[in-house]
Amino acid sequence: MHIPDGLIPFPQYLIYYAISIIAIFFALRWARNNLDERAIPLLAVLSAGIFAIQAMNIPIPFGTSGHMMGAALVAIILGSPWAAVLVLSIVLILQGLIYGDGGVTALGVNIFNMGVVGGFVGFYTYTSLKNVNGKFAVFAAAWASIFIAAIAAALELAIAGAFPLDLGLFYMGGFHAIIGLIEGAITVVVVLAIQNVRPDLFSLEKKSNEVTSK
Amino acid sequence: MSPKNKKFVLGGIVVALVIAILAPFLASSNPDGLDSTMEKVMSNPETEPAFESPLPDYTIPVLGEDNPLGGVISLVIGTLLVLGIAYGLGIILKNKNKEENT
Repeated sequence: MHIPDGLIPFPQYLIYYAISIIAIFFALRWARNNLDERAIPLLAVLSAGIFAIQAMNIPIPFGTSGHMMGAALVAIILGSPWAAVLVLSIVLILQGLIYGDGGVTALGVNIFNMGVVGGFVGFYTYTSLKNVNGKFAVFAAAWASIFIAAIAAALELAIAGAFPLDLGLFYMGGFHAIIGLIEGAITVVVVLAIQNVRPDLFSLEKKSNEVTSK
Repeated sequence: MSPKNKKFVLGGIVVALVIAILAPFLASSNPDGLDSTMEKVMSNPETEPAFESPLPDYTIPVLGEDNPLGGVISLVIGTLLVLGIAYGLGIILKNKNKEENT
């Protein structure tokens, strides 16, 4: 759901830039206070993997496709929504500047939707459900992260006058409710894989499983 | 880096690169959720990029738009670039924190 240039009036793009720059400031502060020897390799590998998998569009019904976003995955594994803001910012800035995937003027709004909204929705959905069932919490967090991010995009595009509110919400919500199933499935697989290989880095079983918890 | 971390990073890089190499062949070319919505609700869904990106849509212009090899190369470059940036940023931020604490 990379928003291109020219879809939202420029002054509104600037507002989203301002919000995202503040969010990146907090994300960098989180990184400075929490990254350690164990977390840095995770951060790097997750960033690279998310960049690659975002190019893997999977077909869904209605002649549409969708790809993994990754914000919930990062927030769950690294134990903070700010980690998602940091990783998605790195990925989106590169995609926008080098590959024309998402507009350069739309970078602020894309970081806001996928990093901030995706990261926070993913993280808090996970933490509120993880004591019910770990795997279900991961799936639900990933599904909600991309669904709510899409709803945010539909609202922003309605405010911009590009989309009608009702149809924008209907299609963005509908498509991403399906894409969310892909997001959920891949996120569960990756979380379980990391837990299998390195239970010292992440485990669904432990009560306090944040890599970076102090 | 500890041997355990080294192994984890190498494994992660291999997985990321395999995805990057396969994506140009396997990825669906259908419009994504946002593009599909744009086609459905807008009378003119065409937009112009604000500036010409060097590798538009994960292609390498000199190799031609439909050449999957361009996609493979551009995605491998991007994957390694993201890995390096994230790792470097992590090291810089961690060291900055150490300096301030001593």
